[in-house]
Amino acid sequence: MGITFHLAWRNLWRNRRRTWLTAGAIAFSTILLVAWVPLQFGAYDIMINASLNVFPGHAQIQRPGYQDKPKIRNSINNAEALAKQLRGSDQYQGVSVRAQGFALLSSGSRSYGAQVVGVEPEFEGNTSSIPGLIKQGRWLSSIDAQEIVIGSTLARNLKLEVGDEVTLLGGGKDGSVAAAIFPVVGIFKSGSNDLDRFFAEIPLRTFQNTFSMGASAHTITIVAKSVEEQPQLLDALNDAIKGRNDVVVVGWEQLVPGLKEGIQIDKVSGFIFLGILIAVVVFSILNTFLMSVLERIREFGLMLALGLKPRRIAGLMMLESTLLTLLGLTIGIFIGSLLVYWAHVEGFAYPGLEDLAEQYNLPGLSRIYPQLKLINFLIGPIFIFIATSIVAWIPILRIRKLEPVEAMRTI
Amino acid sequence: MSTVTLKKVCKTFGEGELAVHALKDVDLEIKAGGFLCLSGPSGSGKSTLLNMVGGLDRPTSGEITVADKRIDLMSKSELAEIRLHNIGFIFQAYNLIPVLTARENVEFVMQLQGIPTEERHQKSTNILREVGLEGLEDRKPLELSGGQQQRVAVARALVSEPALILADEPTANLDSTNAENLMNLLRHLNDDHKITFLISTHDKLVMSHARRLLKLHDGQIIDDIQQR
Amino acid sequence: MDPNIAHPQAGTGGGDAYHMMIKTLPLLSALGWRNLWRRPKRTFVILFAITLGVWFMIVSAGMMIGIIEQQVRDMIFNLTGHAQVHHPDYRDDPAIEHSMLLPSKKLQAVLNSAEVKQWSSRVRLPAVVMSERESRGVMLVGIEPLREQGLSFIGEPVVAGRALQSIDDNGIVIGRRMAEKLETQIGKRIVVMAQDKHGEVADRGFRIVGLYQAELEATETGYIFTGLSTAQKLLGMSEISEISLITENRDEIDSLVARLSAAEPQLATQSWTELEPLMVTALEVYDNFMIIWYLIIFAAMAFGLINTMLMSVFERTREIGLFQALGMRPSFIVIQVMIETLMLLLIGITLGNLAGWFTIDVIFADGIDLTQFARGLDAFQMSSIMTFQLEARDIVTINIMVIALGLLASLYPAAKAARYIPIEAITRT
Repeated sequence: MGITFHLAWRNLWRNRRRTWLTAGAIAFSTILLVAWVPLQFGAYDIMINASLNVFPGHAQIQRPGYQDKPKIRNSINNAEALAKQLRGSDQYQGVSVRAQGFALLSSGSRSYGAQVVGVEPEFEGNTSSIPGLIKQGRWLSSIDAQEIVIGSTLARNLKLEVGDEVTLLGGGKDGSVAAAIFPVVGIFKSGSNDLDRFFAEIPLRTFQNTFSMGASAHTITIVAKSVEEQPQLLDALNDAIKGRNDVVVVGWEQLVPGLKEGIQIDKVSGFIFLGILIAVVVFSILNTFLMSVLERIREFGLMLALGLKPRRIAGLMMLESTLLTLLGLTIGIFIGSLLVYWAHVEGFAYPGLEDLAEQYNLPGLSRIYPQLKLINFLIGPIFIFIATSIVAWIPILRIRKLEPVEAMRTI
Repeated sequence: MSTVTLKKVCKTFGEGELAVHALKDVDLEIKAGGFLCLSGPSGSGKSTLLNMVGGLDRPTSGEITVADKRIDLMSKSELAEIRLHNIGFIFQAYNLIPVLTARENVEFVMQLQGIPTEERHQKSTNILREVGLEGLEDRKPLELSGGQQQRVAVARALVSEPALILADEPTANLDSTNAENLMNLLRHLNDDHKITFLISTHDKLVMSHARRLLKLHDGQIIDDIQQR
Repeated sequence: MDPNIAHPQAGTGGGDAYHMMIKTLPLLSALGWRNLWRRPKRTFVILFAITLGVWFMIVSAGMMIGIIEQQVRDMIFNLTGHAQVHHPDYRDDPAIEHSMLLPSKKLQAVLNSAEVKQWSSRVRLPAVVMSERESRGVMLVGIEPLREQGLSFIGEPVVAGRALQSIDDNGIVIGRRMAEKLETQIGKRIVVMAQDKHGEVADRGFRIVGLYQAELEATETGYIFTGLSTAQKLLGMSEISEISLITENRDEIDSLVARLSAAEPQLATQSWTELEPLMVTALEVYDNFMIIWYLIIFAAMAFGLINTMLMSVFERTREIGLFQALGMRPSFIVIQVMIETLMLLLIGITLGNLAGWFTIDVIFADGIDLTQFARGLDAFQMSSIMTFQLEARDIVTINIMVIALGLLASLYPAAKAARYIPIEAITRT
């Protein structure tokens, strides 16, 4: 093995320029993949987190059927008690109770329809980023305060400023008219067009009184420590509601339909693109491997004449091409990791990205941070290694059929 | 008049203790129409001297004049021009362009010179006939024998009507009959066209055809013999 | 043949060298072409790499342009049009007091000019729609049904029931998914509430006569349609909210917008690029991204191209030395290698373009059906049939870029070849 390795390494440097160019091609594609895949997955993480953290949360406990038909009478009882029990277990980052209904908001001569949400001011910040996104005024003060915060576009359409009053008109749970007047204490800007245009939040108790809900609510929203722990989260929640058949657990994939499929499409198309790119690189370096065999046919003839087995020569050549591939991969992984590290520290920004993200209701996607998982770093290099090994070994297989005299005659 | 003049030409390869002095203070004058043969053992400086005169290599010091021009002072492009118009080359082997036919090889230099198609064709036909290759014009080098290849090379060197033809071991890859034929051809061209020949060799046959024989040893001319 | 005749000498001027270069081009081309086929296998491999790369550039460009074009068309068809005329404050605050008068004679004259394919007036104001069970906030749009044909999606046939027939039609057409949300259906009545001209809340019951379908859920749940006059009657207004129009060419709309503005200077006339600035940003982002993407693919090809040319030049060291000995200038050797590269590039590009054309116009002529991913596509505002589209501009960009950068890449092996010292080149075996 020692001598073979030595020979292979020496051979590699017989044609320095070609070796460097080939290693460079491999390194180039490796850099691209090592930097690309973590960024791609990082972007998905940010997309998922941004869409979930702004309001829907990682999972919700609802009445069965509420997700499809979010009607005010599809409420759940003892929601606050259940939420308290969940908070006691300490394994969730946030648990909050909400009630939701549709209402017409009016100010002066303006009226707009909006989604009005009753929230627990104390806990809502753990499951939604809206309390932290108040651009003017302040967040709701207590669970029974008579006040409202509204989205920035809605405020503009209603010509409302902090301190103005807004009239709310909707239908209560019992069919009665829900009407109230609240002062606007805060205006939020989430970066999601839908939320900023159609959302208003009031304290839970105030909601329950206005909409004749009694003590009931519609959802318990839960945010886990990480969105990756979705299966464990669903298991734990299903455990917690065992014995109650009036509620179900709904995961984020159903709460935000399309997000997961959208990511899936993007992943598939992204991988197809990278796959073809690898194919271009592979064909681009195939010539190196082809020539390194062809130009040495005479030398192989000599080795055969000296009594070396064809298998041994083929093995030598395979070792040589593997060393070359590994050289390229090492350089590529090194530089690629540096790029990923830089993106990890600085964030990857692209001009126009934030504007676009807003249009797709993906708040906060101004900078992409890579997802630092070992598999993301290795998946690209592994594919490149397999692809280059296949093309490198095709010409080598010819060596096995080589006849010494014939080979030595080749120029 | 002189076609080639060398004054105190030195050529050193490498530096310091490893330096090899290929030529040491060589002075030489070659008259127009001469047929000069350089002989000497391997490493005596024959090829180096030939390459210097052909502008393929530069002297470390000294002056070289070809056709009244100081070629040691010229740029690469100027040297290319001198070779194109004033000097023809014949090498020992493999000196034809493999992808071109015999005729195309001969016309190559004329094409570089920008000679019109008609004239080119006329000249290449004549020259190939003169070197005895009539009927083989459209063969590629690999389809010709060694002697025939060398004749194509001679035709090519000749066709641009150079004042000087340099030949490096022209017979090295030929059998004795072919070598004799080639030397007769070169002598005949020297007689008829007054072209100056400078030939390096260690082939006795070639030396016997020379009008002037130079013997080199360790980069110095040790003998200068006029023959016939 | 007289050896004493002086021959034209070296370095007689740049013009001469240029002249010579032109004269020797056929020779250099013949040499390049024959050299390519000395090692056919190697040539085929690099040709395949170039072809694959160019094909990939063209197909990915076709895909991206197809997606973007679809989005732009959907956006234009989604009640935007190529240009709109409004009360100057309507865009910022789409309220009833920001309505505009019916188009004046002057404005009509411009709107009826030949380059406008279709135009229509609309009432478009926020409202609340209520079924027996649910309420939603929507935009109530009063339309001139016949004039919407070819202008927006509501001019297309509906999926259930009937379309609106006249400006007096007092039926209402809502989105398919809106009907689901409201738990209602064709034939049922819904109540529409909106603020009228006097600031009072006006309401009235409508019978649902048709359901329309749109690519995006947001569209289907965002708009309800009735006749223009019916909407005006409900809101006690004689004005309209907007005029929308489309022309033959959306990219050459500036002069029309200028003339419309001139006809009614007190109104705001805006082209689609001003109405949807985010779409324009998206177009720019995609354009930049595509250039980067082309460069990445090119770089992948370039390594192979440089390496192949280097090998080819290295193999011919002796020959190149011979060229130099025969009096070929170094610059001609550079040109020879570049011609050889150019031939490779031209063949590869031709094949790549053909393959790209075949993929886009033959294999995927009808687009790719992605209906099974519809929900995911909805999140990216994409249509469920992905169609490819190519624009001459992008094909030209790709081809010119590959040739220019390819030749640039060949300079390295070419310079290497030109720097061979003839003597070393010849003596090397």
